[in-house]
Amino acid sequence: MTSWRYPETRTAWYIAIDGLQVSEIVKIAAVVTISVVLLPFRIKVKNAESGATVEMELENDNTIDEVIESAATFWNKEMGAYVVRKGKKVLRGTMVLADAGVREDDMLELVPDPEGG
Amino acid sequence: MEEMLRPSDLDRDRFDRSRRIDWLDLDAISRTKVLMVGAGALGNEVGKDLALSGFRDITVVDMDAVAVSNLSRCLFFRESDATEKRLKAKVVADGINNLAGTDLARAVTTTIEQVGSEVFLNSDVVLGCLDNVLARTHVNARSYRAGKLYVDGGMDGFTGRVMVVRPPDGACLQCGMNKSHAKVASLRFSCTGAETVFHEPRMAAEITTTSVLAAIMVREAVKHASGRDDLLLSNFLYYDGKQNRVDELEIPRNQDCLVHRN
Repeated sequence: MTSWRYPETRTAWYIAIDGLQVSEIVKIAAVVTISVVLLPFRIKVKNAESGATVEMELENDNTIDEVIESAATFWNKEMGAYVVRKGKKVLRGTMVLADAGVREDDMLELVPDPEGG
Repeated sequence: MEEMLRPSDLDRDRFDRSRRIDWLDLDAISRTKVLMVGAGALGNEVGKDLALSGFRDITVVDMDAVAVSNLSRCLFFRESDATEKRLKAKVVADGINNLAGTDLARAVTTTIEQVGSEVFLNSDVVLGCLDNVLARTHVNARSYRAGKLYVDGGMDGFTGRVMVVRPPDGACLQCGMNKSHAKVASLRFSCTGAETVFHEPRMAAEITTTSVLAAIMVREAVKHASGRDDLLLSNFLYYDGKQNRVDELEIPRNQDCLVHRN
């Protein structure tokens, strides 16, 4: 186990797993699961109106809606509609971060969606 | 008999200068039927731009009456309109007709929810000049169902945005909405009385932002009417008036969106 490395390809996975005890495979699967799904990671969120940024600690199963709510609350935003963008793309509220492609060190931007007419 | 050419002839055609833009199809623009929903600040500016751009068939829908606080940013409203509590749709339709010198706009003074489907089906383009999320989602859904181009504008102080929805392609307004929109939308239900102003504290508005957004919205209608859909905004334009910065963002189509599922 000491020399075990994370396999980069499917074939490498077969080679790595071949010869391991079932208990060792379970341990590896658990470590991978914890590191991918459960461990928190950090991103930055920028306030489009003020230019300020805040670091946010998140887990992969957090949603974009939660990012919006946390950031809007942190900056004492008035009641209103907001979206979060990553680059040029507006991220859907119900998406979990993993599905939205949000990774460690990403920069998201909180943008007001003005509804006045 | 030979035709007489006079230099002043060039100034007799109201749209002479517009005709010099080669891709503008003024005949098509004059035939395009526009449904404008909302006759507030944005509606006033959009109405003005529509009339001056050559649109000749405009339906204005709004159920509110003019208030004094509207006068700082509404071209067609006068103090007497507020005193007499005239209906915004009528005042804007009258203003458009005066500007165009002909009766080309008609007013519908009910809520958009009460307007029949034929109004959407008979229109070629729908312009949303609304002030709340619920009405926006309603107009978005009905325009989409009718297969009509929907151009939606929204603003708050010096910021604004314009979204173009092109059924059956791409995302619609609702695809880009999230829990924060739902929270704001539901607030309106808590208002009591027809004259209660919804989320009053954040309804900051000023005319220069309104003018910019209205111009962008009508420009999209002009492109569509002229058969230049290739030039339309592909999605969501965000305007930051403090920096005078414009950004075009992409809203991916949401397959779970109720508008698309239906």
